[in-house]
Amino acid sequence: MKRLTTFGVGAALATMGAAIAAPASAATICFAFQDLETEFWVAGHAAIIKTLEDEGHQVIERNANEDANRQLEQVRDCIAQGVDGIIIIPQDGESAVTIVKEAQENDVPIAVFNRPPSDLSRGIVVVADNASIAGQAVDFLAEQALAAAGEGEKLQPLILVGDLGDPNAVGRKEGFYNAINAHKDRFETPIEVATEWDAATALANLEAAVTANPEIDLIFTSSDFLFPTIRSVLEPRGMWKKRGEEGHVILGGLDGDATACKLIKDGFVDATGVQDLYFEADEALKAILTAIDAGEYAPNEVIEDPGFALTSANIGEREMDMWGCVLLSEGFLDK
Amino acid sequence: MSEPARSVPRPLPVAGPGGAGARSAPPGIGRADGARAHGIAAGARHGILARLSRRAGDLLLSDYFVLYLSLAYVLVLLPFLPTLSNPANLSNVLSNMWPLLVVAVGQTFVLTIAGIDLSQGSVIGLASVVGGALLAVGGSGAVLENAPLWGTVLTEEGGPLAGVPYGLLVGIVAMLVTGAIIGLINGVSVAYLNMPPFMVTLVGLIGIGAFAIWLTQSENIRPLPDSFVELGKGDLVSVYLGAQDEPRIPRRQIYSFVTYPMVIALLIAIGAHLLLSRTVFGRYVYAIGANRRAAEISGVPVKRIIVAVFIISAVCAAAGSILYSARLEAGRPTLGEGAFLLDVVGAVVIGGTSLFGGKGKIIWTVWGVLFFVLLSNTLNLMNLSSFHIDMVKGGVILAAAMLDVLRTRLMRERAI
Repeated sequence: MKRLTTFGVGAALATMGAAIAAPASAATICFAFQDLETEFWVAGHAAIIKTLEDEGHQVIERNANEDANRQLEQVRDCIAQGVDGIIIIPQDGESAVTIVKEAQENDVPIAVFNRPPSDLSRGIVVVADNASIAGQAVDFLAEQALAAAGEGEKLQPLILVGDLGDPNAVGRKEGFYNAINAHKDRFETPIEVATEWDAATALANLEAAVTANPEIDLIFTSSDFLFPTIRSVLEPRGMWKKRGEEGHVILGGLDGDATACKLIKDGFVDATGVQDLYFEADEALKAILTAIDAGEYAPNEVIEDPGFALTSANIGEREMDMWGCVLLSEGFLDK
Repeated sequence: MSEPARSVPRPLPVAGPGGAGARSAPPGIGRADGARAHGIAAGARHGILARLSRRAGDLLLSDYFVLYLSLAYVLVLLPFLPTLSNPANLSNVLSNMWPLLVVAVGQTFVLTIAGIDLSQGSVIGLASVVGGALLAVGGSGAVLENAPLWGTVLTEEGGPLAGVPYGLLVGIVAMLVTGAIIGLINGVSVAYLNMPPFMVTLVGLIGIGAFAIWLTQSENIRPLPDSFVELGKGDLVSVYLGAQDEPRIPRRQIYSFVTYPMVIALLIAIGAHLLLSRTVFGRYVYAIGANRRAAEISGVPVKRIIVAVFIISAVCAAAGSILYSARLEAGRPTLGEGAFLLDVVGAVVIGGTSLFGGKGKIIWTVWGVLFFVLLSNTLNLMNLSSFHIDMVKGGVILAAAMLDVLRTRLMRERAI
């Protein structure tokens, strides 16, 4: 992702396209996604579409509007249309298993982008190491919280948990607990707030949790797209403070979107785990096009994005390694 | 009681102002005769128009109107979307049709008594959870540990029916009974408490849907046994078209023809058709839909029939849940959410079942579902976004509702 530092998103996409092994002839790729409700999905969608089209491939897009059955029907339609390969962002890990099986049984190679099937043994699966990335981010948050706390004081952490049908959410929760449990003697049992990856659900549940437990020291959201929701709960209670201000709640997330980047710069957020979106898109496309070229119908491969944590301490050096900061520098949030 | 037959008597010959003689004007006519002939020709033209209008009315009232519409729709689009006639695509259209048909059959009964069942979506979700929890052959504590079902019904080893002889049958019955209980509650609320069906089933949609989600904390239950999954996607007959040039025929060139969902859906549809058209129960259903008060005075056991109709609707939804859960290979509490009800009600109304009650046939629903699935399929093939697809579907349902008004008026006029 160093290339992003120099060239920005456009150049990064061009570079990414050039890096992809072009198949012997233009392929028809079905890109079936569950929805585009967060910055991450919007940016991932744009990266995949632009790269494929720049390479001269035909892209058939299908938006399932968060309906797993509809996505299955759409993928079947794509197969009937004779596509050469399929890339999906599934609704959840379970439906991903069914859809991957459907595609492979019909001799169409399929890649799953970012949201992995609950069974990783089939299909090309490009996924971030969520537990590790979340662990890195929460390690930093824990250090900051402990540094600010008094001697022997026990701190109250809170996690906004994603939809646990999504293995990403499970991994992020695991990474959070690994990091918190490393300082078990200094942290109370974490408060879990269910979000189901839905801002309205998150808002209602977080309101209830913060009302019941106003003394929260550390909040970790399993996805950056919930930072505005967190702000709307903390701000009226006088808990939305910058680093160094009295009452600052140590705050972190995971994704690496533009909002997170801005909030770290502004001092409200302390760290976020970064999924290398362009690496993931790049690897998914490379793998599917290679399989098509080789006439391989059922390629099975897990490609892991190691990711990293962007923190208030390293943002000076690593800012432009995070896709959200690149988008931010291009005025994404002003559009 | 009104039997909603679109098959009206064949039209009588329509004569214009010139009457039958207009068709036999002698040759060599004079000026006065010319004017007369002109009038006769105008009359003949009028007669032709009247006949055409009559024929159009017949077509509109035909049992097969929506089937003709579907065929015409396909023929018009075929030059632009050649994939439409691709055997794989036709196989897909059929595969998407069967589960929807099963649910729509139940909705047909309710609409025919001038009701509506909005709770069908949530019945599908709850039945899916019940079936999944009972039949699962494994479970993940990491995913389900916060679910009330975890540790009580479902464990790492699966549900209580995993590996039990006839467990599949018991699980299926449990799903259908779940539907029947909800239908019973809906029916009693409507029939005996005189609550509006819209409100009762709307509450069901919200409350039962939330209950299903609570049971699993929004998580899906899998893995399900292969025998159950077969019900949603198993083939009885599949076909390969063409010569076998390669030792291994690619799976994508083998098309499902007769599937388990097809057999299940057709059996349910045929049973429902016989029930609605050939039994006293069916006559009662039409009578209640046409005029509930009159039906009561005529001795129809209105309350019991209404309860039975809501039970049928919910059981059909549960049967649809079996097919949807099996094809997605998971017990899913969110099945039936979103725009699903739009598809069900839309398909039934497009078929011709009246939103005003008293008029509905299972065969119409079959064609309505076919048209609706074709519509979705073709809009997908046109690469429209899901938002545009839903907008078009909404427009088509509106057109169908307007057509319903037109048909009703036409039938009244012909009855006079």
